[in-house]
Amino acid sequence: MIQVRGLTKRYGEVLAVDELSFEVEAGKVTGFLGPNGAGKSTTMRMMLGLDRPSAGEVLVNGRPFAAYSEPLREVGALLDPGSVHPGRTGRSHLRVAAQTIGLPMSRVEEVIEQVGIEGAARRRIKGYSLGMRQRLGIAAALLGDPRVLLFDEPINGLDLDGVRWIRELLRGLADEGRTVLVSSHLMSEMQQTADRLVVIGRGRLIANATTEEILRGLGRRLVRVRSPQSGKLLERLAERGIVVERLADHELQVENLAAGELGEFAYQQGIPLHHLADAEQSLEQAFIELTDDSVEYHGRHAEAARKTTEVAP
Amino acid sequence: MTALELSADRVSVGQVFLRTCAAEWTRLWTVKATWWFLAAAAAIMIGFGAIAGFEAGGDPTPGASAWEAAHFTGFPAQFAFLALVLTAVTSDYATGGIIPTLQWTPRRTVLFFARTVVTVGTATLAGVLLAVGSALAAFTAAGQALELPLGDGVDTLATVAFVFGAGTGLAAGLGFVLRNTAGGLVAVFLLILLLPLILPQFGYDWLTTVADLLPGSRSIFLLTGEPNDRGFTTMSSVITMLTWAVTLLLTGWLRLKRDDANH
Repeated sequence: MIQVRGLTKRYGEVLAVDELSFEVEAGKVTGFLGPNGAGKSTTMRMMLGLDRPSAGEVLVNGRPFAAYSEPLREVGALLDPGSVHPGRTGRSHLRVAAQTIGLPMSRVEEVIEQVGIEGAARRRIKGYSLGMRQRLGIAAALLGDPRVLLFDEPINGLDLDGVRWIRELLRGLADEGRTVLVSSHLMSEMQQTADRLVVIGRGRLIANATTEEILRGLGRRLVRVRSPQSGKLLERLAERGIVVERLADHELQVENLAAGELGEFAYQQGIPLHHLADAEQSLEQAFIELTDDSVEYHGRHAEAARKTTEVAP
Repeated sequence: MTALELSADRVSVGQVFLRTCAAEWTRLWTVKATWWFLAAAAAIMIGFGAIAGFEAGGDPTPGASAWEAAHFTGFPAQFAFLALVLTAVTSDYATGGIIPTLQWTPRRTVLFFARTVVTVGTATLAGVLLAVGSALAAFTAAGQALELPLGDGVDTLATVAFVFGAGTGLAAGLGFVLRNTAGGLVAVFLLILLLPLILPQFGYDWLTTVADLLPGSRSIFLLTGEPNDRGFTTMSSVITMLTWAVTLLLTGWLRLKRDDANH
């Protein structure tokens, strides 16, 4: 388990992380989400003792990370796959890691095989693709068979097979009872992988809930309806104080009403319906709504925010 | 004691230090730069030693010692060792390798001592061995013209060990302070070579005094006995060099201990 308590990091005038508190539970894959500049990497660096917090603390299984005499047996982490000496071979890189906790070379060979870089292990890292560097970093993280794993954007640079492999790896690690924290900007990826989500923006905690809860818009239900008399339907719903948004000429989105309730209401009003469905928000939609006020660099959010994913009721 | 505490404390600090030294040893020898710097130092000390021996053989001076070759070749060769240690310390910052390094060894004081001991120790030991090689090369090349007295040998090797140890200690400290290879190399060359030679040339007493306090002036004196007109003694030179090395190492340790990993 990782406990983050009142964590704050200030760089001069810039407040990168602002009194952040949350817990990462064992046995689950926890996604760590936030827009660029939200403070995800800074938070992970403080978890590993790389950066000194301005205030607050992080405990890994009850202790600060630096208190462990064999840290690789406690926490495996992949922060930046490019942060390695390019002149060293992959095998030498892992050998250095193994020596810090007295592991034999046979364990190095095991993780090389586990991440599938047998053919590249004897080559210098400067010749590695980004995907191979990711795998090397993951090998180093797995080396000490740790109880806690931190991955910063592990999907980057991996091909489809690699993405599938990392999904299975993360799931398998969590199923073994390990604590797994994964940061990603790929919301769709987290939707498939994470059990829980910690969402931050401008260094502050925005949401800490299960993926399902966040997908449901943190409790907000949405129904999509198509009708040739959508104007009349909108009017009647608005008269009853129900929030309705027009999505297209004949299409409306209704808040906080079940599809069944809306169907009965339309029947009572004599309004024909051509389509009626609960609309499940995509994680991307939920994420954008959650972090909309916390984005450092705005792009084309307005357009993206209108997208929702429909599912059958 | 809980299971967690047992897990955290089952390895002593001494064991952690030894394991970190082993990791640092592997780090040092698994990059090409180390081998290139050693090859350069070997070429200078043994090659120039042989050349000095040939010259001595052509113009014999009664009682001349082959150990002198180690003194004179040690001065240029020390720059290869200074660069070796500086690069070994700063390459982690240049490549970003300090991130995994501090993940694997978050106890920064342990890392500081292991890295310093391994790099400075290696450079010092290699310097001493090459000093022996330099003297033997000169002795062999000179035929019967040079002697190889044991007493001189002990003095020479002790001097080379001290100059190389203090000099590379200073370089390691600079590396931890500056975290930058180019900046560190410039600083080392200024302190050890350029400023000690240039400052006295201006003719101002105060600039000469400043030059006298630089580590390079003292390393030249200890290795070659020059300059002999500025009141330098072995003791004052040893103290000056140690002061520089210890001060920079202490500053480097504080920077590693207190600052963020690579900001």
